Amino acid sequence: MNPDLVAIGGFVLLFVLMLLRVPIGIAMGLIGVGGFGLMGDFGPALKLLSQSPIRTATEAGFGVIPMFLLMGAIASASGMSRELFQAANSFLGHRRGGLGMATIAACAGFAAISGSSVATAATFSAVAYPEMRRHNYPQSFATGVIAAGGTLGAMIPPSLVLAVYGIITQQDIGRLYIAGIIPGILAASMYIMTISAIAIARPNYLPPGQRSSWGARWHALRSVWAITLLFLFVIGGLYGGMFTATEAASMGAGGAFVIAVARRTLTRAGFVECLVKSLRTTAAIFTILIGALLFGYFLTVTQTPQKVTQLLTGLGFGRYGILAIIMLMYLVLGCVMDAMAMIILTIPVVFPVITALGFDPIWFGVIIVMTVELGLIHPPVGMNVFVIKSVVRDVKISTIFFGVIPFVITDLVRLVILIAFPILATYLPERMG
Amino acid sequence: MSHRPGPTARLLAALELFAAWLLAAITALTFTSVVLRYAFNWSIPDSFDAGRNLLGIAIFWGIALAAYRGEHITVDLLWSALGPRARRVMDAFAGIVALLCLAVFTYTMADKVLSTYRDNVQTFDLHLPVWIFYAVAWVGLALCIPLLLLRLWRQLTRPEAGEPAQHAALR
Repeated sequence: MNPDLVAIGGFVLLFVLMLLRVPIGIAMGLIGVGGFGLMGDFGPALKLLSQSPIRTATEAGFGVIPMFLLMGAIASASGMSRELFQAANSFLGHRRGGLGMATIAACAGFAAISGSSVATAATFSAVAYPEMRRHNYPQSFATGVIAAGGTLGAMIPPSLVLAVYGIITQQDIGRLYIAGIIPGILAASMYIMTISAIAIARPNYLPPGQRSSWGARWHALRSVWAITLLFLFVIGGLYGGMFTATEAASMGAGGAFVIAVARRTLTRAGFVECLVKSLRTTAAIFTILIGALLFGYFLTVTQTPQKVTQLLTGLGFGRYGILAIIMLMYLVLGCVMDAMAMIILTIPVVFPVITALGFDPIWFGVIIVMTVELGLIHPPVGMNVFVIKSVVRDVKISTIFFGVIPFVITDLVRLVILIAFPILATYLPERMG
Repeated sequence: MSHRPGPTARLLAALELFAAWLLAAITALTFTSVVLRYAFNWSIPDSFDAGRNLLGIAIFWGIALAAYRGEHITVDLLWSALGPRARRVMDAFAGIVALLCLAVFTYTMADKVLSTYRDNVQTFDLHLPVWIFYAVAWVGLALCIPLLLLRLWRQLTRPEAGEPAQHAALR
């Protein structure tokens, strides 16, 4: 059979199945095994089905996903998000736009213990939104800040999306996490600068809150020191080569559990709920991972990545021109898909192009996560926007999209900065132990 | 007013709790292993193999339960633009495709369990038979078939009941 025809047919069928709401992982697995069988024989294709999924599910390195999920769930259930917000608010809340800045700072702190954008957005919709509204912040701004702050969950380590990128491209997850630190801090700083600029341009738009005394500030800091120390220990251990990414995740989850139990902020029922939530998300992610790895065999036998690489490099746009096309594709895909699905579906095809063009795979991981995270807040299908809408019921979707506009512009500027200065992402991983 | 969950919901909640506690066990095993390595230069025998095989069990059981509750990641672009009747048709189609795929997967996975048994594959330290872990994982996968049938039946006969996740007993 003509491999090009099978490849095109496979992709068309895959998108049709996905549009008909067949779970993405199952659609990818079906096309992967079916296409592999069509190109050769169905005997080896079924053999593949008997071996690849169990190998994926029992790969020790992939344990990083459920354990970091558990860490985030425990941190959230034990009220650490509220404490982070209170601490940030005590230092920043008295400025114009200070509550927005505090929300971003707290989102960044929460992102350091939770790897999910959606979880970060959902958590702060409940924690920060009422406080901002109480201080007469406009609905659009309050929700826009939370939607943008939520995206920090995928950039600041531990990040689920970066872990999945590492699994698919066989890059070291620890190095990817370390690479995300400076861009993550840059993201939070630029969001805060954006809020500051809005507050200067429209002084009455974002009223200041009450100034906290230094006593209140130290009191607020006391409640977050343990989780800050845990993050530094986990990431420091990764950076220093003390732990693998999976071991770091277990230290993070175990440490968060010990802190929550010691502070009596986690009940038994709450812990069970954390386990169940983590299991559910793990199962959903692994289903698409298993499907993606099966789909990868289909791509290999049809030589799709090589052909796409040839096609794109033959266009004569230069490496940055091709990078721009790829990123544009992600922005468009972000209109219909969530970040995880986009990464899993496209990276097997896009990654060989990137390496053939001589880009650093770790740097590209950071760039691609930033790009797909933009999809979480830009219309028409911004996942974070929908999550906020599900928590804050009296706000219109269009109001939230209006509120995120300044942050989308900030994100685009940040992407340009990171493309111009790759060292921002590669400096720390190059110095890892 | 609170409703007492039915026997199916209670059974599923129990199965989910089993898989969820496996996650706790894997985390505790890895955590303890790291602590012992640095504190006493000693590691728990088979902690690596046990951890990864337990992870496989938790994931396969989780996949089955997620399939029943409709929690797998999907593209809802077209679905959300349709009316209730068309949505039901689309859900039924997706359910049938998922059921067929998982049935084939369960069949091929049984082959893997048997070949692991025949090849006498063992863990590294304690020489535990690996096929037992695979068999337990397979049970979770096999569970998918009746669960997806049950989901399909519910979707076709009681569409107004919504997703099972909305009334599953968790505690």
